Amino acid sequence: MTREKFIKRLLEVFGEDTGDVFSNGLENGWLEFEDKLYHEDEINRKNIARIIHMYLLKVKGISDLQDISKAGELRDLYDCRVCANHIAQVYLRGIMSAKELSVNGGFLWFDLNGEDDTSAIEDYLIRAYEITKNV
Amino acid sequence: MIMDSERPSQITDNRLRFDSFQGSDKPLFPSKKQRLPAMGWNSWNAFGSGNTEELTKAMIAKIKELGLDDYGYKYIVLDDGCYRPERVNDHLESDPVKFPSGFKAMADTVHAAGLKFGMYNDIGTKLCSGAKVGIYKHEKIDCEDYINWDIDFIKVDNCYYMWDNATFADPENAIYSYAPNIRSITIAGSTYSAVKDADITGTRASVKDDYVTFIGTFDGTAPDHSPVGNRSSELVFEVETDEPGIYELVVSYATGKEEGVGRWLQIAVNSDVVFDDMMPETESPESFTDSAPIKLKLVSGFNKIRIMNHRRQENTLNSYTEIRKELENFGKDRDIVFSICEWGKTQPQNWGHLVGDSWRILNDITFQVGADGNNGTAAWEGDYTTSITSQYNKAVIMDEFAGLDKGWNDPDMLVIGMDGITETMCKSHMAMWCMMNSPLMLGMDLRRVNKGDWMYNLITNEDLIALDQDMLGVQAKRIFTTINCDDPSTEYIRDNNRVDVLAKPLINGDVALAIFNLKSEEHSARISVSVDQIISAIGNKMNKSASDRFKNASTYQMKDLFSKECTDTSEKNFSIDSISACDCVVYRISPVA
Repeated sequence: MTREKFIKRLLEVFGEDTGDVFSNGLENGWLEFEDKLYHEDEINRKNIARIIHMYLLKVKGISDLQDISKAGELRDLYDCRVCANHIAQVYLRGIMSAKELSVNGGFLWFDLNGEDDTSAIEDYLIRAYEITKNV
Repeated sequence: MIMDSERPSQITDNRLRFDSFQGSDKPLFPSKKQRLPAMGWNSWNAFGSGNTEELTKAMIAKIKELGLDDYGYKYIVLDDGCYRPERVNDHLESDPVKFPSGFKAMADTVHAAGLKFGMYNDIGTKLCSGAKVGIYKHEKIDCEDYINWDIDFIKVDNCYYMWDNATFADPENAIYSYAPNIRSITIAGSTYSAVKDADITGTRASVKDDYVTFIGTFDGTAPDHSPVGNRSSELVFEVETDEPGIYELVVSYATGKEEGVGRWLQIAVNSDVVFDDMMPETESPESFTDSAPIKLKLVSGFNKIRIMNHRRQENTLNSYTEIRKELENFGKDRDIVFSICEWGKTQPQNWGHLVGDSWRILNDITFQVGADGNNGTAAWEGDYTTSITSQYNKAVIMDEFAGLDKGWNDPDMLVIGMDGITETMCKSHMAMWCMMNSPLMLGMDLRRVNKGDWMYNLITNEDLIALDQDMLGVQAKRIFTTINCDDPSTEYIRDNNRVDVLAKPLINGDVALAIFNLKSEEHSARISVSVDQIISAIGNKMNKSASDRFKNASTYQMKDLFSKECTDTSEKNFSIDSISACDCVVYRISPVA
């Protein structure tokens, strides 16, 4: 799924106007200019995490979980200083799950640069929406 | 086949070599000034990638309203997230949404307020945010732009670096930063076993089966390893020859591409580097093969043949040097603070002084940075680098690496005002950073600070700031800890169940004494240090008359730098009976008579 399609789907799931896909997010600080610039690129997992987290925070007022230490079980969490919190928030809220590798005794990782299929992405958006309903 | 464009530069300046790091107090650039730790505000902890022109202007206004610049907070630094995510005609540009007026306009605004303007980049191909505007191969054009934008400060990060397995870089870049596994060397028909006939220097390398592995430098990004001591390992053979001349060396090696085993090999005879290149790849890290013959010039008698790879440090220093060189080239008369931010990865305490004004010692102090309307979160303690005590525990034993003639250890920006930490923890955090001569970069949304509130009172505590900015420029030394150890000044202690005592000499002959309770519970036993203990630990950092005067005084004035209460004492021991959880006591002690 491209970045543009992902953002459009997010807006649709949350019942927002999808007329100008990017203006809402750029004006309100939950999108980055790169999302517009690279709108045709396939979206990777770290950018899905960023956009969902920032949307929940900035638009839906969902405060961050303070204790993210449990997300430390993701082997690659600290590989990414700019996205560690985005990943931790969506992971700990159960919106996006980890991947499990069996090498070296087995470990969990988020797979920052991996890509997900449409069905998985739809699930993330539904879970994010459910969280806002429950607040 | 590794192409030239895929390998680090040749090192032609021996001052960039590992052997030149030790004992070299001379910077590479004569213009490098002796300066005190920088003070200011950096956008990262407050707003992460979400900083904007509007928010920065609000911070500038607030600095002026609070008068923070009068206390020394002068630098306004735009961290990651402020650039357009790709170059335009090869030039950097500001993010058109966040900084629509551009960087020069931002710099003008900062300067018009009597403040100084700082920016950010990375030595790699991209910024940590992913923006494709890293400074690599754009040193000239970027530095010219930075000079034209009138920057006064630059923080240079380490993401997407090509010659090491840094954050976002290819993990297989370890090929550059570690030597291959070594089984033996052969010279003039004699074979010398790496395991039986060589010495391993340092503690990084180790023996595995019949070979030696991990020949290289510790990765200091995580808090696992001490910064003190020899952080790199070499394999050293003593080879005796009867006749001087040219000999052929063959190395039995096996390459890998992971932390601990790589492909880049350096060979030196004594201090002369005779080989510095990539080795052909082998099938696996345990498939040994013989190198092509390498010619060596040996003298009669004993020759020290060093098998090594110091490129982890040398490449990173080289990359920072290129930037500094171009900044000097385009801005000869400019006064720019150069803040090295490679997270302690390549042990910058060994080389940072050659080129920079400060060097980060670990990965970030928090990954939970704030946003507009969100304070972000910090921690007092934690397993990784993301806590106040994680940073402190490493920095506190790094005093010998810092100084006015070198530069400063940087345990990252202040997290005062973030969620997750109490006022008491913030108080100790500020005192730790001031005792350790750390850069003081505020990281909160300053709109939350008001004159007279606890955050304002803490960050404007003139007595604490005076310690950080004291002209003697000596980082405090840990002179006592309640945990049993051989040497509190150098032992790397990560167990926070303790109380530390730090002493710091000051320019006027006073001594700052700080007691930190790192525990999450009160320490109710007496803590006491004597004048003799203090002088024994830091007397050599004071001039003789100041040291004698402090040692022989019959009365001392003790000023509590938080309560401001002054008391006179004729005791030769300074003590406290208890100290609250995560709290500190800081005295400025003046010999009176």
